This record gives sequence, structure tokens and C-alpha cells, in this order.
Amino acid sequence: MRNRLETAVRLSGRAARGNLDLVGLCGLLVVVLVVYQRLDPTLLEPATITILSAQFLPLILAAVGQTIVMLTGGIDLSLGAVLSLGMAVFVINTADGTMSVVTAMVIALAVTVLAGAANGALVAYAGLPPIIVTLAASFLWGGVTLIVLPQPGGHVPTGLVRAYNLGWYGLALPAIAIAVALVLWKVVKTTRFGLTLYAVGGNEHGAFANGVNTRRVKIVAYGLAGLFTGLAGIGLAIQTGSGDPTIGTPYTLNSIAAAVLGGISFFGGIGQMRGTLLGALLLGLLTNLLLFTGISTFYQMILQGVVLVAAVAVKTLATRERVA
Amino acid sequence: MTGTTRRALIAAAALGALLTTGACNVDSGGTTPSGAASSDPSGGTAGTAKALKVGWSTIYLAPSWMQQTLKMLEEDVARLKGEGKVASYETFNANGDTSQQIAQIQAMIQQKYDVILVDAGSSTALNPVLEQAVAQGITVANFDSLVTSDKVIRVGTDQVEWGKMTAQWLADKLGGKGEIIAMNGPAGVAVSEERWKGAEEVFKKYPDIKISANVHSEYNLAPAAQAFASAYSAHPNITGVFSQGGALSAAALQTLVKQDKKLVPITGENYNGFLKMWADKRKEGFSSLSTAQPNYLSVIALEAAVAKIGGTAVPMDITVPLPKITDDNLDQYAKQDQPDDSYPIQPIPQSEIDKLIGK
Repeated sequence: MRNRLETAVRLSGRAARGNLDLVGLCGLLVVVLVVYQRLDPTLLEPATITILSAQFLPLILAAVGQTIVMLTGGIDLSLGAVLSLGMAVFVINTADGTMSVVTAMVIALAVTVLAGAANGALVAYAGLPPIIVTLAASFLWGGVTLIVLPQPGGHVPTGLVRAYNLGWYGLALPAIAIAVALVLWKVVKTTRFGLTLYAVGGNEHGAFANGVNTRRVKIVAYGLAGLFTGLAGIGLAIQTGSGDPTIGTPYTLNSIAAAVLGGISFFGGIGQMRGTLLGALLLGLLTNLLLFTGISTFYQMILQGVVLVAAVAVKTLATRERVA
Repeated sequence: MTGTTRRALIAAAALGALLTTGACNVDSGGTTPSGAASSDPSGGTAGTAKALKVGWSTIYLAPSWMQQTLKMLEEDVARLKGEGKVASYETFNANGDTSQQIAQIQAMIQQKYDVILVDAGSSTALNPVLEQAVAQGITVANFDSLVTSDKVIRVGTDQVEWGKMTAQWLADKLGGKGEIIAMNGPAGVAVSEERWKGAEEVFKKYPDIKISANVHSEYNLAPAAQAFASAYSAHPNITGVFSQGGALSAAALQTLVKQDKKLVPITGENYNGFLKMWADKRKEGFSSLSTAQPNYLSVIALEAAVAKIGGTAVPMDITVPLPKITDDNLDQYAKQDQPDDSYPIQPIPQSEIDKLIGK
């Protein structure tokens, strides 16, 4: 059975022709980086890499979480709320100084994993469309976050905030955190769960007929997404030295944008995490680039929209031709 | 179709993107020198101080209050450019995204701005990046929505006092007893929480004033009107409304007028829609006390930053007094010819600004 699954996944992977898309994205990224380097010659210095990776970490990890959900054929509109929740739980536990940062992290991640798994369980058992479930969940977790942290506050140890934002003996801690998170995903992907994740997203009935416990896969997938979302929230808390109960909201749509830009299909089963990584980096760098050019922020929003639509259109066209 | 077509398509897309970014690049290249050139002639008349590169990062730009603030700020920038004190000015809009605002401030640090003005999206999340800017020698002046860091100049009004002052007026108006609905801003927003904190302190002293509903709403007419209408239908016997925002007050008053109910006192803000309705209903006995978050906070922040660089001992915390709009001076504020969604304010005399910034 494992073989059959593998074949199915390989076939759908080939159909997506992920690598060709990724070459295009890589090319675009190189272009953006070259222009960026010209406007900001310090781009490749450790200090700038630290700053930029601290800036991009929440979006990258949120997009990883969103990608996992999208691979099952779902979508997570509660991601921003869960991100804020993780951030809130983390900062109230680090605030009084009695609890170690690591313990606070573990508690925050446990909460976000449970929140994610709860979303997954509703999708899997109630059979409700993910877009409805997670929309409702976004209000639920948003409310819970406000109870945990009614207004911006909390405190993260100053030494950690400094080390994270300014470098720790020259090491870009956020970049390392991103790398570790991506390795974690790599490991997960090679497990049987990783395989069934793509199978459920690609063809749920087929996967079920092949003996995959599709419900369990969905719950684990949403839970795993909760883990990455929680990490994004913790990253944001360390970057900002505090918690803010409403700061996560924009990450819902931005994470979807990054995943879509990276070639993750809305219909599930198609796409690769490195595409999402490229998508998130592109979105982040492009936004920064526009800040350097000094054009009005309203035009920047238009331009971002255009880039996104163009990227999706090109991908759709490329895939459609292939099918024909 | 062949693979080559596909590849060509993708290459074309990449090229398109390249051209777009290239175009932006050219665009900025064109504007910067001309901006610098226009300030050059006047720059010659300045004393020893160099003209400053100023930027404003704001969490929102679209609301009319922000547009008015921008206009006032730009007028002052033009004046300071004329005096050779400011070389260039740029506005950055984070559009509600605090992470984006952090990125903007980082970009401003990178581009060696001399003055960073900030209307903050979060009272805590910007602290590290603003302190980083200060450490790099940049003068940071924060106004309107304030951060908690004490390393930056903060120009604001006392939001707790806002709540206290208006609540006290209502309590006096009601003679210390009655039933009210409280109209507050969104939960979890610092401004809203602080105004309510001040109001609550006052109401605690009056056990005979019953707060029958505490409503949270966006500071927007439509959602506020809905929220008030449902609270009012549950509590039709109220004798007053504590409202902490102009649009919220307008929503409450509008509902009472529409339903042809008794016009109870409602506290408010200098939202023109509310002021106009108040002026209209004053002869029917409607009364209010309103205050304002003055748009000139931005001007004071800019002048404070410029003065600080010029060597003035500017206080780090500048609390601008809250204006009082009463039944008596309402006519100076309510502007019949201006849209509802504007915030009329009386200009602040330069002498008052100078006093506030320690000149």
C-alpha cells in the first residue's frame, strides 16, 4: 500500500511540475535581491541578515503552518488569532520572571497545537468546510487571547530580545530558528504522516480507500500547523519584547499570500514547502524594497496585489497548458 | 503545448517583475534629487544646523483623522523647509499591520533618517525597534497612539483623564444617580481601555449610577449604531450615555433621534457629525461635553524633535491639554459646511507649542 501511495503522490507532484515554478520564483528572488543590494549595500552583512530574518521569521513560519493546512485541501483563517494566542500565553508566562523562557515556550506551543488540533477535529468530524470552521475559530481564539492578555503588555527578558534582534556573538538567531523549523518539516515530510498528508489533500476518497485514517491525518495536520503558528507567535514576541493581543490578524492573509505565491494549490495535495519559503521571502523583501523606493504606500499595496495576481495567473496558465 | 512556451511565459513574467521594480527604482531616483534641490536655496539661509530628513510611520493613513493630521503635518513641514530646518519628508503607512510598521522603522534607520515620527500600532511591540533607532542617534517622537518606552519623546493627551473628565460631567449632569449605557472602543485597544479606566474610576464614586450595558464597538458609525441600538432596546430607560468616541456618540444620538426618544445627555468627541447633530438638537435640550484628540499633536511632535536636535531641553513626556467643547463654545467647533467625518479643532497658538516643548 505504501508503494501505491508513493506512486500516487509522485504522480501528483510531477503534475504540479513544482520545480519549474520554483525556478521562476528563484529567478524573481535573485532579481529582487540584486535590486535590494543596490539600494541597501549592507544587505549581506550579519547585522542586516539578523534584522531581516527577525522580521521575516513570523511570516515564514506562519506560511509554513498555512501550507500544511492547505496541503490537506483546507485553509486556516484562524491562523492570525492563534498566532496572537501563542504570543499572549508566552509573554504572560515570561513576564513575572519566575518561569524559564523554555517552559513558557513549551506551554505556549502546547496551547497553539491544541487550538490547531481542535480546528482539525471540527473539520474532520463535523465535516464542515475548513473556511467556515476556521473563520468561527478566529473569533473564538481572538476572544480567548483577549482574556489571556487584555491589552498589549507582558515582558520578554531584555537580554533575549537584544540577542535575537541584534545578533548573538554574530549569529543570526532568527535565521537559525527558521532553519531548524524547516528541518523539522523536512523530517515530518519523510514520515508516513507526511506522505498521507499529500495523499489526503490530493484525493481524500482515494486515500481513505487505501486505508489512510483521513480524519487523524487532518487533526495532526492542523495541530502541526498550530505548532508552527505558535513558533511564529513566540518569534514575534521575542522580536517585539512583548505581547499584543491583536497583532496577529494580518498574518492570516499574508500567510495565504505567501503560500499561494509559493505554488501551494488551494485544492490540496500540490505544492512544496520550499516554494512557500520562497514566497514568504519574496513578499517580505518586496515590501521592504518598496519602502526603500519611497513611492506612496497606497501604490505599494496595488503593486503587491499585482505581483500576487500575476504569480498565480502565470502558475495557473503553466499548469493548464501542461494538462492540455 | 511545449515546454518552451511555458518556460518563455515564466521568463516573461520574471522580466515583467524586473521591469516593475526597475521602474520604481527610476521613479525614486527622479524624486529624491528634485526634492533635495527644492529645499537647497532656502537651506542656504539656515544657520549652522543641517536640514533634517524626516519620516512619519503611521499605523493607519486612511481614516479622516489621519488625513487631517497628515495635512497639518505637511503644512508645518513646508514651513520648516522654508526655514531650512527640514530637507525632506516622507509618510509611511503600515495599514494596520504592526509587523509592517516595524519593518518601516527599520528601513528608516537603514536610510539614516534624522527624525522618525511614529503613530504606533501597538503600545509595546515597537519599543525594541524605536530604542534601536534612538541608539543610532535618531530622534524619535511618538504622538497620538503612544508606546510605553521612555527613551522616545511622547506627545499625547491623557486618555485616562479623557474618560475621567467626560464621565465626571455626566455624573454631575445626572445628579449622581441614573442608568447609563457605556459605549467603548474595541476591546484590547489601549486607548479604549484607558479612557474607560478613567471613566470607571469616576462612576465607582456614584453607586446610584447603574451601568446597565458596556458596549464595545469599532470607532465607526455603522457598527456603533447597531451596537447601541441593541443595547438600547434592552435598556430603554437609560438617563445618559457615556461615550468615549465621537462616532460612538453620533451613533447613540442618531438612534435616539430616529426613534423619537428622550434626548439624554451623551458625552462625546469633536467628530463633526456629532457636533452638527448636537448643535441642531441643543434647543431641544440636548447637552454634551466633548473633547478631542487634537490633530496638532503631530505638529508638536515634529517641532519637539527639531527643537531637541537644535539643542533645546525638550521634555520626554509632553501631555497636551484636552480641549473642552461645551454647550457654550460648540459653535466655534461644529462646522456645518464640512463632512460628518471630519474633526474640527481650534488651532493651537505657537506660543503654547513652544511652552509645551520647553523652548
